[in-house]
Amino acid sequence: MIRRLSGSGRIALAVVAFLWAVAAVSPLFARRASEIRLGERLQAPSPGHPFGTDDLGRDVAARVVVATPISLAIGLVAAGVSLVVGFGIGAAAGYFGGATDLLLSRLIEVVLCFPVLFLLLALAAFLPPSPATVVLAIALTTWPSDARYARAEILKARNLDYARAARAAGAGPVRVLLRHLLPNALPPLLVSAAFGVSWAILAEAALSFLGVGLPAPASSWGGILSAAPAYIEDAWWLALFPGLALFATVSAYNLLAESLRHATTEAGRT
Amino acid sequence: MKRLPSAIFLLVLGACRAKEPSAGSASSPPTPPPAVPAPVLGFVDETRGATPVEGGILRRRLVGEPATLNAVLQSSLPEQQVLQYLARQLLDFDARLLLVPGLAERWEVSEDGREYRFFLRPREVWEDGSAVTSADAVFTIRQITDPKIPSPVFKPLFDDLELVEATSPTSFRARFRNRDALHAYAFAMPLLPERRFSGRPFAKARENRAPLSNGPYRLSSWKTQDAIELERNPRWSGPPAHFDRIVFRIVPEEAVAYRALVEGTLDETWIDQSLKERSARDRRFGACCRTVEFYNLDYNYIALNNRSPLFSDSRVRRAMTMLLDRPSIVRNLYHGSARIISGPWAPDSPAYDAAVTPLPFDPSAAAELLDSAGWRDTNGDGTRDRNGREFEFDLLSSAGAKTGSEIDQVFAAELARVGIRARVRPLEWATFVERIDRGDYQAASLASAASDANPDPFPYWHSSQSPPRGVNNVFYSNAAADRLMEDARRELDPGKRRDIYHRLHRIFRDDPPVVFIANASQKYAFRRRVRGLVTSPLGLYGFWPGPLAWWGIPDDSVAGGRGQ
Amino acid sequence: MTRYLVRRLLLAIPTLFGIVVLVFLLLHLAPGSPASAGGSPEAGRRVSAAAREEMRKLYGLDRPLPERFVKWIGRVARFDLGESFVDRRPVSERIREALPATLALNGLALFFTLAIAIPVGVAAGGRPEGPFDRTSAVVLFALYSMPLFWAALLLQTLFSVELGWLPLYGVSSDPAPAGIAGFSDRLAHLALPVTCLTYASLAFFARLVRAGVVEARSQDYVTAALARGLSRRQALWRHAFRNALLPLVTLLGLLLPGLLSGSVIVERIFAWPGLGRLYFDSILSRDYPVVLGLSLLGGVATLAATFAADVAAAIVDPRLREEA
Repeated sequence: MIRRLSGSGRIALAVVAFLWAVAAVSPLFARRASEIRLGERLQAPSPGHPFGTDDLGRDVAARVVVATPISLAIGLVAAGVSLVVGFGIGAAAGYFGGATDLLLSRLIEVVLCFPVLFLLLALAAFLPPSPATVVLAIALTTWPSDARYARAEILKARNLDYARAARAAGAGPVRVLLRHLLPNALPPLLVSAAFGVSWAILAEAALSFLGVGLPAPASSWGGILSAAPAYIEDAWWLALFPGLALFATVSAYNLLAESLRHATTEAGRT
Repeated sequence: MKRLPSAIFLLVLGACRAKEPSAGSASSPPTPPPAVPAPVLGFVDETRGATPVEGGILRRRLVGEPATLNAVLQSSLPEQQVLQYLARQLLDFDARLLLVPGLAERWEVSEDGREYRFFLRPREVWEDGSAVTSADAVFTIRQITDPKIPSPVFKPLFDDLELVEATSPTSFRARFRNRDALHAYAFAMPLLPERRFSGRPFAKARENRAPLSNGPYRLSSWKTQDAIELERNPRWSGPPAHFDRIVFRIVPEEAVAYRALVEGTLDETWIDQSLKERSARDRRFGACCRTVEFYNLDYNYIALNNRSPLFSDSRVRRAMTMLLDRPSIVRNLYHGSARIISGPWAPDSPAYDAAVTPLPFDPSAAAELLDSAGWRDTNGDGTRDRNGREFEFDLLSSAGAKTGSEIDQVFAAELARVGIRARVRPLEWATFVERIDRGDYQAASLASAASDANPDPFPYWHSSQSPPRGVNNVFYSNAAADRLMEDARRELDPGKRRDIYHRLHRIFRDDPPVVFIANASQKYAFRRRVRGLVTSPLGLYGFWPGPLAWWGIPDDSVAGGRGQ
Repeated sequence: MTRYLVRRLLLAIPTLFGIVVLVFLLLHLAPGSPASAGGSPEAGRRVSAAAREEMRKLYGLDRPLPERFVKWIGRVARFDLGESFVDRRPVSERIREALPATLALNGLALFFTLAIAIPVGVAAGGRPEGPFDRTSAVVLFALYSMPLFWAALLLQTLFSVELGWLPLYGVSSDPAPAGIAGFSDRLAHLALPVTCLTYASLAFFARLVRAGVVEARSQDYVTAALARGLSRRQALWRHAFRNALLPLVTLLGLLLPGLLSGSVIVERIFAWPGLGRLYFDSILSRDYPVVLGLSLLGGVATLAATFAADVAAAIVDPRLREEA
């Protein structure tokens, strides 16, 4: 598979691998990231603090590292949940049609029309703010668009010859969906999912800015960034480094997804 | 004016700032601000000996849209800021916290301290020329006490009112059920024109958005979520205010208001510690603007639920106080511009006894107190426990309160070192308030926006005032303190009352209801053209005349000074 | 086709009902109440439980939930959204006040997004992995990963404070100039907020168009078009881009409602008197009637937009018609 990836796809894969490697070693920095030294607040980058220090004198480099698994997980899990739920519901609606479709489509529409901001705030108020809550809230707001995609793709594909053939051969709906329809519907969903990952990470940052993100001591890139506006001209490092981490993640995931999509469609054609 | 509102509460938590009570920033401003006269309570008065300039526009900032301009229904800072220009009060607080005549030229208190008689100034008129009468005053007080009318600011002040009635067109009397030395403070309240409200549902009256003024200005336009403009009230007969127009712009974000100030589209704004630090380095700011900093009566604290098994023991509450490194917080988070407090008042409150020194930061003494209270790590998991219960709790804070959340994190880190697990948990405002009001919390980061000169601790700390009945939402209960609080209410002699407060203060330090933190300075930024600022323990706005004494010189005459 | 349209319209009714029920439930079950949200912390501290109970009665919150719902729905059926808890004005009036500012802001932002994203996407998809594709990807993702609040504040500092070219905040100057000058004054005030809303959504649209074009490029009909002697450019725009249009139309349907709720962050930072701020403030102050009214409006807008998108898709691809 990797051999099929384009040049930028390979670079993206390397970046993703690097990010996960950082996430893997991040526990080593946990202590340093939470060490508050008020006497050293808002120091510019130096050999001792390569990314500078934050408003409580914590090492920004360590905080960015420690935030890596949290932010990556927020993005990946939120997009994953959204994809699975969205594909499941959308595919079922598209495949079975009739009353099932009618009902599920209403459900999709209801959630789609549901004000995202309100849902996020309500959930944040209901549930204790934790990475799981934030992930859940974000996934709940994104699955309907995945579902609509999936439904449309399945509608297109289900009457194609291979699907008819599979049904004629006595394959059950789950089997037809998973073995025959999913692989075809997946590539376009991948790009949307990659944006889902980025969207989730950025949404968490926006929630932090509005004051309903992760609780303060847990660091996420969004959390570090949302402290930055107050010091935007004075402490550029507070925004720059988590921002770069965000940029690397967003670009890598998206380029990888595009590349994968390309590779799979090429594979499908040959 | 009174009791500041919600915006300020959040702001207060986000506040911090420097020592010098005067204007002027470190970056050698080209036009030095007027010399600061000898401060009263360490405050600024720029009106003395200065000649005000008449005319011009003052552009002020509101953090949010007023919901109403009905003085009785007001509940937020923006509402108060606008109403101060439109609605005169019966009585006012002056810059030194003294009650002075407003619409009422004098008042009398009965022997038993329960009845008040007010005599209105004759010839005070509303914007339409009709007289301000005692009927208006009686009507206003009846609306405040009407259970169907939400008047969150004034209602609590009149909750033991027995009767109110007019005794002549210019006088009325009000009688309370209990004797309270400070009942008069309730009458620092504005009036409504009775005629305008007759026969209409009060809460929906047109007047709520187009109020009839009896003050120096009147409303000229209100653009929703954008701007409110005032012009001079031609019928105003009191001492004239100096600006021709007052324009309030609604600017929700602090950082944007700061930029607007530098750019010249605002004349004043509240700023936080980070913006103050920035202004000191900002050359552009120094050329056109200045900062004003002073102490008011606000303070912050970490509320401990005294009913919780964790904090019911006074020793634990003392230990908690000794575990918060207040000197370091003042030094590093507030850059020295805050004063550690040892009781439920700011140092400038007459009730505060400077001789009651705060408990020190002393983790080892605190650890001993915790040990003696039975909180030891018996199961070796690194957290103290007692009777099978771990010492861990949620430390609630209101989301968006920056300095508050920084303090919480510092506190949690310190607690972790002595084996107490505190999880900092920011909550959205309405949720936060509901939990605090119900007493449904263990610990919470709070601020007291004491925009009221009344130092009476009774509503907040007397054991009879615990929820649901009152607002002692930490459930503090100390028999000796209860008695002193009752005595203070009955004591009419100010000197003796102060002595009682000072005795109370000692109890609050030694059997602390909460972890008192500090009284941080208030910081504002002004265009240099605005002159005549007076600060007070009630802030820049919360007293008479406050902003009505300001005047402005043309911006270019400031700029002219810049060239030299 | 007519049958299809009627069917779709009728189906909108249960959806709207579902939305309203959900919002209503969530709103009333969420912690906090108008009594705790309103007013000041100071007032909040002073308000005793008894006084709060009075306030709940005042807002009619002491009635059972179903009763309140039926009452509200009954009024909505008569096109009455009720009145705001906060200022006691009709909800419809408050929405009407805030709508124009939001429509202007988001409409322009959408226009610029498409005007930039489509050509960039087509050009990038024309030569995948080419230099333009790679550069544009990096630039777009860099923009996409810049948090809005951060970029907005930086743009303000640069263009308003330092350079003085553009107004810092608000919809117009004070006093607002008249005539043509007034119009350009308003445009100037739009510049920064529109930029902020545009830059962030460029990446999504451009990459979506690119993906569609890349896929279409390899399809037989594009190859055939090239073989027929069409230039690359013509082949891309006439055939490949048309193919990419369908998902774009569907997506637009999903995004249009965003034009109503707007962006809270941008509206706050630029002190823009729009619906986003109204919505956010109403949630924070638990102004139930306004939140419900805005949610209903958002629901109607979303349904209308998806409906329009589906009709457009059905016209392009008749297969979709029977199944919708």
